[in-house]
Amino acid sequence: MTVDMSKGGDRAAEPAAPVDPRVRRRSRSAVARSAGGDRWLTVLIGLVLLLAGVGVALLSYGVFGTGRASRPLLDPIMLDIVAAEPLLWRSVAIVGGVLLAVFGLTWVARSVRPEPRPDVVLNGGADTTIRVSSAAAGEAVASQAETLPGVARARARLVGSAAAPALRVTLWLADDADVRAVLAQLHDEVLATARAALDLRALPVAVRLELERPQPTPRVA
Amino acid sequence: MRAVLRVLAPLLGIVLATVGVLVVIEVVAAWVLPEQEGGLLVPWPEWGMVLAGLSWNDILVRGTAIGVGVVGLLLVLVALTARRADLRLVAPSDDMTVTTSPRVLARLVGTRVRASDDVLSASVTASERRVAVTAQAWDDAPDELRETLVDRVQELLTELPLRRTPRVAVSVQEREGVR
Repeated sequence: MTVDMSKGGDRAAEPAAPVDPRVRRRSRSAVARSAGGDRWLTVLIGLVLLLAGVGVALLSYGVFGTGRASRPLLDPIMLDIVAAEPLLWRSVAIVGGVLLAVFGLTWVARSVRPEPRPDVVLNGGADTTIRVSSAAAGEAVASQAETLPGVARARARLVGSAAAPALRVTLWLADDADVRAVLAQLHDEVLATARAALDLRALPVAVRLELERPQPTPRVA
Repeated sequence: MRAVLRVLAPLLGIVLATVGVLVVIEVVAAWVLPEQEGGLLVPWPEWGMVLAGLSWNDILVRGTAIGVGVVGLLLVLVALTARRADLRLVAPSDDMTVTTSPRVLARLVGTRVRASDDVLSASVTASERRVAVTAQAWDDAPDELRETLVDRVQELLTELPLRRTPRVAVSVQEREGVR
């Protein structure tokens, strides 16, 4: 499937409207797949282990009293408390186990799930919808970005959700590229055309700049 | 560290889920099968007897606690250092975010510094706050080479639309021998 992105350049001439802060946030989160959830859960588990380790070490060295330090790990007092209310503690253990299992499986599923690539659905009329695949839209943007002066290679893909898509563009620039000019042209020509072609009023964009590897010069002319 | 976290996060999730499932299985098994000797999957009665024989000031408990604390500290450090070290650039509009890596900036600075005829080689480290250049110069290089290189790097940094301009530190080492 190909997407005609040659029309709609007239939108670029419109004065810049104030950008919704939500769109700004979406453009920031489109930079890369977020690892925020993984990071904070790992910090939480690490802190729990750290506090538990430090607490037991202090107890073991007698900081909370030598009497407490010499008590058995499975304290008979605690065992008596559990034995007095077996139904309650069994229920607590089962609920805790189920919650732990659900939480762990949800975390695994979220961590290993591939990043979504939403298609864009265009309104083609009363009984027609046109679906532009994420790959087609990305290829169209990338191929147009590659025509900009100073851009050696480009890659683009749609990220986010189908209701709120965003565009992630990676540009490999030549060493002598004028970065400001490349970004301005990308914004005014490529992205304005993409918004018009995909019929999206707001399309947050995250641009990643890389340098093209220099071509190895032949040792023998 | 981001790659480590990518591997670590699902593993931690699997560990938590496994512990949860085992707890549920063992508690339910002990409840509905009271005549069952020992645990179904985990030998928890034997573990209970071992734990009952240990006191808090036992060397084994002390060592395990320190080990658990160290593992926790490592997890915190891995998670906190797994941030992206991106450099933000000024974008033409607010709905656009432009980033690059410190490696790209280091390569641009290195190319600019090595373009000087008086520089034999250069190594560059770059971050959002600081660009450090160590240049090796020929021994007949002019005395003001360091200032020249600083000016060149500053010029490059003003050409780039960086949101935050890093400080520049240049050190020049003279190489013995003829050019």
